[in-house]
Amino acid sequence: MFDVTQVGSWPRSEKLLRALEDRRKGNMTRAQFDRIADEDVRRCVAAQTEAGVDIVVDGEQRRDSFVSFVTEKLDGTKLMSMEETADDKKAFDAMLKAADVKPGTIRNPVCVGKLSRRDPLAVDEFKFVRGLTDLPVKIALPGPYLLIRTMWGPKFSKKSYPKPTDMADDVVGILRDELIQLRDAGCEFVQFDEPVLTEVVHAGKAQEGESFSRTFM
Amino acid sequence: MATRRDAGSELQFAVELLNRIVEGVDGIRTGVHICRGNWSKKESVHLAGDYEPLVPSLSKINVQQLVLEFATPRAGDFGVVGRALSNREIGLGVMSPKDDAPESIEYIAGKVEKALQYYKPENIFLNPDCGFGTFSGCSLTTHEAASAKMKRLVEAAKVLRERYAGGAQRKVGQAAA
Repeated sequence: MFDVTQVGSWPRSEKLLRALEDRRKGNMTRAQFDRIADEDVRRCVAAQTEAGVDIVVDGEQRRDSFVSFVTEKLDGTKLMSMEETADDKKAFDAMLKAADVKPGTIRNPVCVGKLSRRDPLAVDEFKFVRGLTDLPVKIALPGPYLLIRTMWGPKFSKKSYPKPTDMADDVVGILRDELIQLRDAGCEFVQFDEPVLTEVVHAGKAQEGESFSRTFM
Repeated sequence: MATRRDAGSELQFAVELLNRIVEGVDGIRTGVHICRGNWSKKESVHLAGDYEPLVPSLSKINVQQLVLEFATPRAGDFGVVGRALSNREIGLGVMSPKDDAPESIEYIAGKVEKALQYYKPENIFLNPDCGFGTFSGCSLTTHEAASAKMKRLVEAAKVLRERYAGGAQRKVGQAAA
């Protein structure tokens, strides 16, 4: 009754933010990065167990964001800044300002080829947390609609997938394999993040100056 | 980035994708989280609107739990979800990750009481509206503030368990009387 948990992400330390940047620039190996990220995951899990939560998350500490991190795991993807994928740079800059987004802070996964799972998305994240606590663990994964909507763009993706809907089989296969592998590893709870569903129904309705009309996800 | 079709076919597409992923996979709890943006502390820059246009689609998704925002007024009235979706678990958003100050226990209890009008207590999970650091490039808060909020949420859960241990309906009725 009234089980307490989190939605997924947790603030990262300055050290980890620097390591994420080094990793993005290719200046740090996965093993070097993981040693630093492990410390932050330990800190995040300790905060939760000290608070007394019922279900634990790893705080998505190893991820650039809840969705963009898939570029580290999936073939056929590339991490790009929103600036790189924008068609009209001037309008885009104005939009960022209106939405209170600092330039260069939000990156997206972009589909640049045939998608396949080079590595599991989050099985390693789960196994590390499982080693820290006996409490049930929740892993958040980007939802399939979010992935397709975020990753498909005509400029980069059309050769492999003429339309966004053509990505469906591959994205479903990737996430279904991940869900089954997480279950088999002992994970208790998988949450699929689908924030863009609100954009589908609410974007463009906002009054000017009152609310922004998209979610950036 | 994707080419936009009309909202109805987009939602149907999203439901089909999710259901294909979870079909026949037992032995693990599955959930879907929906929010209205989480990159800035400014409430005004995020989307606003209740769950009404999403309810028909959400009712068709075969997951056990819907993890939804309710701490922000931008998410609208709880009854919209409660009336249609109480046949599954709710991950009830009762704290804003965009405000560092921990919500009071009575604020959280008020949100839970609304949910108890529709949901069994064992099907109500308590969580913040969204993550505390969705994008590494623009994290919303600090480790210390997030820790304080989670402590408060656990305190609230303890109070609520004591309050509703004897049956939620009766206690809600008493509170309303």
